[in-house]
Amino acid sequence: MSQVLQRTSATGTRATKVIGALAILVMAWVVVSGLVLTPQDVVQGESVRIMYVHVPSAWIAYLAFIFTAVASASWLISKKHSMGFDRFAGASAEVGVMFMAITLITGSLWGRLTWGEFWQWDPRLTTTAFLFVTYVGYLAVRRLEGSVEQRARRSAVVAMLAVLEIPLVHFSVVLWRSLHQGATVLNPNGDVKMDDLMLFTLFSGVVGFTLVFVWLVLHRQRTMLLVDVANRQGLDAAIAARKIEGSVN
Amino acid sequence: MDLSPRASEPSRKPRKWLPIVLLSLVGLGGIVIVTQFLTSAIDYYCNVDEIGVRSGCEESTRLRVQGTVEQGSLQKTGGKTSFVMTFNDKSINVVYAGDPGGVFQECISVVAHGRMIDGTFESNRIEVKHSNEYAEKNADRLDSSGSAACSQVQG
Repeated sequence: MSQVLQRTSATGTRATKVIGALAILVMAWVVVSGLVLTPQDVVQGESVRIMYVHVPSAWIAYLAFIFTAVASASWLISKKHSMGFDRFAGASAEVGVMFMAITLITGSLWGRLTWGEFWQWDPRLTTTAFLFVTYVGYLAVRRLEGSVEQRARRSAVVAMLAVLEIPLVHFSVVLWRSLHQGATVLNPNGDVKMDDLMLFTLFSGVVGFTLVFVWLVLHRQRTMLLVDVANRQGLDAAIAARKIEGSVN
Repeated sequence: MDLSPRASEPSRKPRKWLPIVLLSLVGLGGIVIVTQFLTSAIDYYCNVDEIGVRSGCEESTRLRVQGTVEQGSLQKTGGKTSFVMTFNDKSINVVYAGDPGGVFQECISVVAHGRMIDGTFESNRIEVKHSNEYAEKNADRLDSSGSAACSQVQG
């Protein structure tokens, strides 16, 4: 395990470089299409362009939190309790929180331009804020003192409970009367009422944000591996030093 | 070279307080959000046809009322905006002290905050509730007025 640090000079691989390059290309297209090529909306005008960031970031945050729950369940269920699952869960949650923050910020700006308010305690906004706070809490749990196994067990339980909030957030606009509009693409009728280029740009944004998510998670979980290895090396070195002291005495 | 054993250190490590404080703050934040949610968020508004009919939509209380701004009813005079708000064939007159601004216009769904006073809904906050439909803005059609403009807003 200690050789990992010696042979690793960076967290990138050929695969991450390809993913990173693809992410740059797709996001460049989203920027050009979202800001220049797509038309203004008949009601919202230019402010509709926030959608190309707001909606993909919300979906990717959901995806990240679902991956966190699946990886956490895998850690709990697997006999070997591979720490790779735990690191993936943690990395995915960190990136998910970042995307959730982007969702809240862009949503707030969009709300100001359309509703006339940065924030209202309506069902969708409230449940989204609650989801964000829950996963900030998850990240705090991961930083509680204890062994890596204790960290993995505690955070896995929290992750599997927290993921249950996602259906509540998504269906909040159906369950209750909300100021936030209902789903356009993932609506129960399956009838998508959106201009073709707007829809294509939205899906491009989802693809681009997914590539960014994968790139970030791969790098982050490798960074976490290096931190764990460094901590373990420090412990091994301390034990060896005490043994030497014991033998001298 | 000093080869004497190190002085024994206390076995208990100092507790890391930062995660505990952070976790407490997160818990507190969650409680505040849930409290706000329960008191304010469930069923954000009453529809126009529910005023005085549905529980929680009594005329004597401050309300959030949802409806559509009726075509041809919008007037802006003396710093006030007045319009007729309709839902399910029921209408109320709304007076707002100021200009709602933003994308507020006729034929659009809005949520008005205020009170019913002598049969008129006096509002001090208007929120535009846009639909989940997105269509290209057509300059030619926007320049038109009357039914054409309204049909474009409604998709």
